[in-house]
Amino acid sequence: MPNLYAITGSFKKQALDFIADPQWIIPSLVAPFTFTLVTLMIYPERDASIVLYAVLGGGILGMWSNSLRASGFSINYDRMVGTLESLMVTPTPLMEVIAGRAIWNALIGLLNSLLVFILAEVVFQTSIRLADPLMFFIALAIILLSLSTIGLFLAAFFVFTRASSVLTQILELPIFIISGAMIPINLMPSWSWPLSFTFGPFWGVDALQIAAGVSSTSPIPVGYAGDLLILFAITAVYLTLTWMLFKKMDGKARESGSLGRY
Amino acid sequence: MGDRVIVAEDLVKCYPRTNGKSGEKKTSKPAVDGVSFEIRKGQIFGLLGPNGAGKTTTIKMLGTLLIPTSGGATVLDHDIVKDYMEIRKRINIISGGDRGLYYRISGRQNLRFFSDLYRIPRRLRDVRIEELLQKVGLEKAADQRVEEYSRGMKQRLHIARGLVNDPDILFLDEPTIGLDPEISREVRGMVRDMSKDGKTLLLTTHNMNEAEELCDDINIIVGGKIVAKGTIAELKEAVRKKSVIEAEVRRMTPDVIEAVHSIDGVLNVACSSDAYRSILRIQVADGQDMVLPIAKRLENCRIIRVSREEPTLEDAYMSMVIGDA
Ligand SMILES: Nc1ncnc2c1ncn2[C@@H]1O[C@H](COP(=O)(O)OP(=O)(O)OP(=O)(O)O)[C@@H](O)[C@H]1O
Ligand SMILES: [Mg+2]
Repeated sequence: MPNLYAITGSFKKQALDFIADPQWIIPSLVAPFTFTLVTLMIYPERDASIVLYAVLGGGILGMWSNSLRASGFSINYDRMVGTLESLMVTPTPLMEVIAGRAIWNALIGLLNSLLVFILAEVVFQTSIRLADPLMFFIALAIILLSLSTIGLFLAAFFVFTRASSVLTQILELPIFIISGAMIPINLMPSWSWPLSFTFGPFWGVDALQIAAGVSSTSPIPVGYAGDLLILFAITAVYLTLTWMLFKKMDGKARESGSLGRY
Repeated sequence: MGDRVIVAEDLVKCYPRTNGKSGEKKTSKPAVDGVSFEIRKGQIFGLLGPNGAGKTTTIKMLGTLLIPTSGGATVLDHDIVKDYMEIRKRINIISGGDRGLYYRISGRQNLRFFSDLYRIPRRLRDVRIEELLQKVGLEKAADQRVEEYSRGMKQRLHIARGLVNDPDILFLDEPTIGLDPEISREVRGMVRDMSKDGKTLLLTTHNMNEAEELCDDINIIVGGKIVAKGTIAELKEAVRKKSVIEAEVRRMTPDVIEAVHSIDGVLNVACSSDAYRSILRIQVADGQDMVLPIAKRLENCRIIRVSREEPTLEDAYMSMVIGDA
């Protein structure tokens, strides 16, 4: 039974930390908004679907950046300030602590995308209408879950590599591209498609687009429900992998004592 | 178990070491090398030893943060390797130093967060945190950010953090390091209070007076091995035969120390000086007969006094660590 006290406590702590020093605003808000801006300016005729694409793309970029940076560095942050051993000595598995944070980080990404949306409205007077708001928000919630899981995975993965900051830089854009949120992937070379298919948010983005009323550009059109089902399945796989990674990390840490060092 | 809450048997820890250049994996020489001891319920057990002796490594093994390379231990009757989750519920580790706290949030928020990791129901949690803040004297600063805390306040918060789960066993790894004498004394008071509350404590420190003041039982570890164990009285007894002569003089030069050291029967000379005087602590094989020859050698140093002293824990420690016991 996961410790819900720990997950919510950790979520709250992350929120407090964020409010105390909201430095993530810059990568997670300024960059996505710039993306939206540039996309909108590239297209001379802004029909409703282009606008939606641009805004959705900016929003997803915000969520992805935030999960990648904030969650990815989560454990390294504890290593740096020396709190990792205080965490490890408690009976709560590290994965649950980081889960609380990853959910917060994905949520902040979501709030950022909302801001992008509002900014786009104000600057371009896009007057976006969602075809089906309810379906849209359901898809958004599931993407949130999926991104939290990816954040959790990255948190554990980055502990094993000293190259985490380089990886963050390298991964940010390509993964955003394969998510299909930036350019429809049927415009991408077909060898890249399998990458997209294994990246959960790709299905989420497709579901969002359908719910928003933009026609699906997926090479495998499975419809809204199909998208969400696949997203669920992929998220479950991520979660299992993450769980294994954390187990391995815990064992390795207790073997080598390397987690306390920075 | 009887009342033995910690039993360590032949604990060995070799840290795996990755060779920087070749990436080749090796294990280094053992950081802890066959440590055995028992700690009884309610005791304050002191683990003393020089830097790098293996104290922290021992604590980390008993605290379930490290798996021993060989040997084993039980804490509260649970195996430290297999039953670590059970152990973690009932222990905590308090380290000295100002790392290990979230500095952007307040002291109270730190305590709440760590409490949540122990599944403490919200109401009990908030009551207990209030008590702890009072106990460590942080009520006023509780809602200030930790980055604004002084070194002493951080140490108090560390102590409160270590008590959030009301543990049965506490590992205190140099809890007074870097604190001024007044705060050190307060911390020692807190340690005594924990003991009065029935907690079992394992304490490491480099301050011999502190160990002498607090500990019931002491083990001395050097190079990963226990070289001496016993109560303070027993450890002192072991060096009593070679008692200590203290000489206070106004003038001191290095060659005088050399000269005293070279007297037959002198084992060890330690010298501390201030602007007005120097005090020599001289360990000798037989105190009675040595006062005169030493005084003679110090003739030109303007002697204030030469007297025979009872050995302190520090004398015992020095003689065991340096190895002329
Ligand atoms: N994580 C680690 N990886 C590799 N070697 C380590 C690690 N931690 C400690 N060591 C080595 O193990 C030995 C024992 O270290 P330990 O920290 O246990 O000593 P200590 O008695 O606590 O010393 P101090 O009084 O300085 O705190 C030292 O030689 C140290 O260099
Ligand atoms: Mg140490």
